Amino acid sequence: MISRWIVGIAFFLHASPNYRYIKKFAHNLLENTNYPYKKFFDYTMMVLIVISVYILVHHVKYEVKPDWLFFNNYVISVIFLIEYMLRLWVYSDNSKAIIEQYEHDLFLQRPFRVWGVLHRIMMTKMGFVFSPSAIIDLLAIMPFFHEMRLLRVFILFRVFKLFRYAKSLQQFVSILASKKFEFLTLGVFAGVIITVSSVLIYVMEANNPDSKINTLFEAVYWSVVTIFTVGYGDFVPATSEGRMVAMVIIVAGIAVISFATSIVVSAFTEKLDEIKEDKLIDDVSKFDQFYLICGYSPLTAQVAHRFIKNGNQVVILESNHKKVAEAQKDGLLALTFDPASLHSYHALRIDFETQVISVILLEESDVLNVYTALTIREMSKSIKMLSILLHHENRRKLSLAGINEIVYTQELIGLMSKEVSGRPVAFEVIHALRSENSGVFIEEIVLDDLMAGQFFDTTKLSMFHKRLIVLGVYKQSSQSFFFNPSNTLIIDAGDVVIVVGTRSLIDEFKALMRRKKRV
Amino acid sequence: MSYQSAIVFGFNEYAKQIAMQIAPEYLSFAIFVMTEAERSAAKAAGFEVALFDLGEDWKLIEERFDPESLIVFCALDKDAENVFLTISLRSIFEELPIIALAGDHESAAKMKSAGANKVMATQQITANIITEMLEKPTVTEVLHDILYEQSFLKIAQISVPENSFLVGKHLHDIDWGEEFDVLVLAIVDHQLSATFSFTSKGHHHHIDPEDILVVVGYEDSISALSEAMGVEKWAK
Repeated sequence: MISRWIVGIAFFLHASPNYRYIKKFAHNLLENTNYPYKKFFDYTMMVLIVISVYILVHHVKYEVKPDWLFFNNYVISVIFLIEYMLRLWVYSDNSKAIIEQYEHDLFLQRPFRVWGVLHRIMMTKMGFVFSPSAIIDLLAIMPFFHEMRLLRVFILFRVFKLFRYAKSLQQFVSILASKKFEFLTLGVFAGVIITVSSVLIYVMEANNPDSKINTLFEAVYWSVVTIFTVGYGDFVPATSEGRMVAMVIIVAGIAVISFATSIVVSAFTEKLDEIKEDKLIDDVSKFDQFYLICGYSPLTAQVAHRFIKNGNQVVILESNHKKVAEAQKDGLLALTFDPASLHSYHALRIDFETQVISVILLEESDVLNVYTALTIREMSKSIKMLSILLHHENRRKLSLAGINEIVYTQELIGLMSKEVSGRPVAFEVIHALRSENSGVFIEEIVLDDLMAGQFFDTTKLSMFHKRLIVLGVYKQSSQSFFFNPSNTLIIDAGDVVIVVGTRSLIDEFKALMRRKKRV
Repeated sequence: MSYQSAIVFGFNEYAKQIAMQIAPEYLSFAIFVMTEAERSAAKAAGFEVALFDLGEDWKLIEERFDPESLIVFCALDKDAENVFLTISLRSIFEELPIIALAGDHESAAKMKSAGANKVMATQQITANIITEMLEKPTVTEVLHDILYEQSFLKIAQISVPENSFLVGKHLHDIDWGEEFDVLVLAIVDHQLSATFSFTSKGHHHHIDPEDILVVVGYEDSISALSEAMGVEKWAK
């Protein structure tokens, strides 16, 4: 009977969209570092912790208003308790575990073992309860029982809770945790030295009336203060034997300190690259819009610098460490990720629909570019992709892989050669316009409603007349280009104007077209 | 076209594309290669081929072509070879127009020093076209049509004849768009320098004989303008 109820509830919860939505929301808020609203939750909790500790410190010498004490003892504690319960809830999926066990038993045609699955669920939840961070959470709730005055000091555990909400603190702990073995060795070494020296100093000094070290606790205290090179001087050995022990322990103390320092330094050095890369990944996920270039070569550097010069952001993915280092030395944002692997994009948390303007495939092989294109197409069907083509026989393969624009430099050079031999000056003019190094630019301006309405009037202004060349208008409706347009042409929003002029003149032209007419 | 014959050095992908584009434009055309394998490949593609080495004294060229009406394209595999080839050709033919391919800026500068008249830096050209295609797609499309496709819109360079009505006028005296339905992008002022200047820069150019106008317009309009200028033929 109970098992039927349990299975029924499990199926109900598993199928309930509301329940799943709420649980997913709670999980995102508590555990998912990529969830955009998590940071607001984290900041709120941090503020509560700071308030709580401030009240504790203030209360030592001064009176605290009863409202604040109530807030501290009950409201904050209840919030922490709710948080603890939520964490326990989202830690594992009970309904799924029950259903799996039920279906497993059904398949094997044996009765559903409800106690077995409940035991398993309990053991899983215990994994959370006994985790260090959960223990700190629980202790931080303790001041709730404020009548037990000793427990008030547990409020300090709330400070440890900060580790949950501050990423840098988590990183610090994880770096030190990577040297667990070394710290253990150091601890054992220091422990042995402290034990031996404490016993020795106690034996040598305890019966000497001139010595202050009279108890074993004082001996241990003296050893700890000495081995860690603090040496308060409140307890000093009085006998020659005791001083001999002191000399040995002082030398050992230096070894302990230098060993500990070197462990911390080496842990940070080893993790430095990882920390830097994490920082870069974080930066990338915060970018609004950028061009994604796959593969690094001298061509990539040129393309990236041009985009950057025009005020765009560029992210380069390259699987070769050496090339990434080269790109970073060149001042570019490059990451060591395989551009042909789906895992890379998941790890980088790149949103193709909103963040990436276009993907540019510049690997030095058509095979790799096709492979990367197919990977990216799996992530996004609509993202615009451009690729270089190295061997013209592969053009169709690149198109089939979903690449929208293909640049075949060799063909371009062929066409340009014809141009350069036939019309060398005209070629130079176009090349100079395109390279944007001559001070004169060729620009396209997409017109909005206001600009479309004021286009012809603006071109007639004396500052533009004969200085700004309006090459033509590309009409979106008819998909055709109107060279040297006369004012009989109807200009609509969305049409594209191509102009040639200096940067300042083009900017002024755009600004004046956008300015509303004074009535 | 003032050149009657052309030579392309090398037979890699670049050279092949150059050859395919320019061969029909010249009365005589040949490919010069350094290896037997390249020779067979070029021959199989239907081109006239000759073998050469970098230590050549270029009798080979003098025997077969008139250097006065010859243009050469250096498209060997390595930049260093192209530089050497350029310098070697320049040492014999002082006036020969040499167009060379370079991988990057650095090699392009070396080829200029070696005496190439025009250097096409492939990396820079590719980078320019990639950024232009993504940031100014309409410009790319329109320029591509004007330059390379058989569209009615053309870009032309017209040399101002001695007795043209333009001589003595200022560039901005004429409303080119209104009167001739063409736009003048740039002018090469024969007296000032051999390089061009953009009309958009706003300088007051005094048109002299032998100045070159770079104009964009429909084929008919350009023909009408050149006729009015007294030019018999313009390069399409």
